[in-house]
Amino acid sequence: MKPIAENRLAGHGLAVALPPRWEGRLYRRTVGEAGTALRAGATHPTQPTATGWPGELSHPVLHLANFALPASRGDYGTGAVERMGPDNLFLALLEFGPDCLGTALYSPRGVPRVRPGQFNPNGMQRRVAGQAGFQHFFTEGNRPFCLYVVIGSHRQAVRLAEQANEVLERIEVEHAG
Amino acid sequence: MTALVIAETVILAVLCVLVAGLLRGYAAVLRRLHQLDGGATAAPPPFRTVASIPEPAAGQRIEGRDEWAESHDIDGTSLRGEIVSVRTVGVEHDTIVAFLSSTCEGCAGFWHELGEPGSWTTPQGSRLLVVTKGPEEESPSVLSQLCPDGVDLVMSSQAWADFDVPGSPYVVVADGRTGRVKGEGSGLSFSQVSGLIRQSVEDSRHPALAHKPDADRRRERDVDRILLSAGIGPQDPSLYATAEQDERR
Repeated sequence: MKPIAENRLAGHGLAVALPPRWEGRLYRRTVGEAGTALRAGATHPTQPTATGWPGELSHPVLHLANFALPASRGDYGTGAVERMGPDNLFLALLEFGPDCLGTALYSPRGVPRVRPGQFNPNGMQRRVAGQAGFQHFFTEGNRPFCLYVVIGSHRQAVRLAEQANEVLERIEVEHAG
Repeated sequence: MTALVIAETVILAVLCVLVAGLLRGYAAVLRRLHQLDGGATAAPPPFRTVASIPEPAAGQRIEGRDEWAESHDIDGTSLRGEIVSVRTVGVEHDTIVAFLSSTCEGCAGFWHELGEPGSWTTPQGSRLLVVTKGPEEESPSVLSQLCPDGVDLVMSSQAWADFDVPGSPYVVVADGRTGRVKGEGSGLSFSQVSGLIRQSVEDSRHPALAHKPDADRRRERDVDRILLSAGIGPQDPSLYATAEQDERR
């Protein structure tokens, strides 16, 4: 068997060395034309476009998984978590705007580590049988983030939490200005 | 006195034989170590089949591409600007990698069928990935018009180089468990290529070809896995007897 390489994914001030079997996608949602119009002074753009809300300022989103990530996914993994098996893990790291800096919600410092007891079936964006989720807000490198982790089997929380922590250990965040 | 001389001569002769045997054994060990150290330049033996199987004509053999070529993970960008790292090696599923271009005429059938997902299927459990060359050699705006939403498309010139793609359209089937390419070629459309892949998969499972007991097949798979993990693939010289070993028989 060919040796499995540790691929590196980097961009938008984030980087991660992917362990074997893990793949990732890093993006920044493009803002629709309505958003551009709003910034130019247009009024009452109240409906979201296909690529986001008018006027929205997009921030990096990092998706990591130990299964094949589909092309179409929501920021919190909709479209991907439904494909997960009991041994699978999905991690989403979403950056928020600078207006969140210094607020109580984002006051924890540093990329967190997860504990098995933190995973809860009710912690999912939408409940999927057997799965459990965990969400945590924090600040790293003067940048506010939300970490959202989904495990494929709540019963395997101990083993899967260990794997999640191995990946979290590898995430690097560039300091913002 | 004479008896003593004769006895010493006999002992000396026996010792000479023993020393010669030891030196020969030592030389064989050194030769083998030299081979293991990469010093040997022995080429794979010529292609041959077992006695009951007729040898294929020269024109039927695939030249220039090694059997079971290495597969590669694919890094690139999506049409939405995502930075993407896709695994094809060391995963449970197979990946069908379709190398397409926005300009090649032969790709038209593939792009058309991507928009009609019900008209063709890939083997169960496999993943389809469309790979074009990078944005520096492709037109992302044209690709956006050709590629329907939901299709996983990665732009990566490096992947074309890694898989040694001769031109487009070209389809590679990457075996996730072994990290090897288990099939590749060109065609006119996904329905044609997926039909060939499906036929190949079904043939491999057909009773006419799979008449061995399950235990034997499992054992063979285990042996293959162990050999591949040790870097020993088909036609590796170490799998064949050397001329010297043949002579000893």
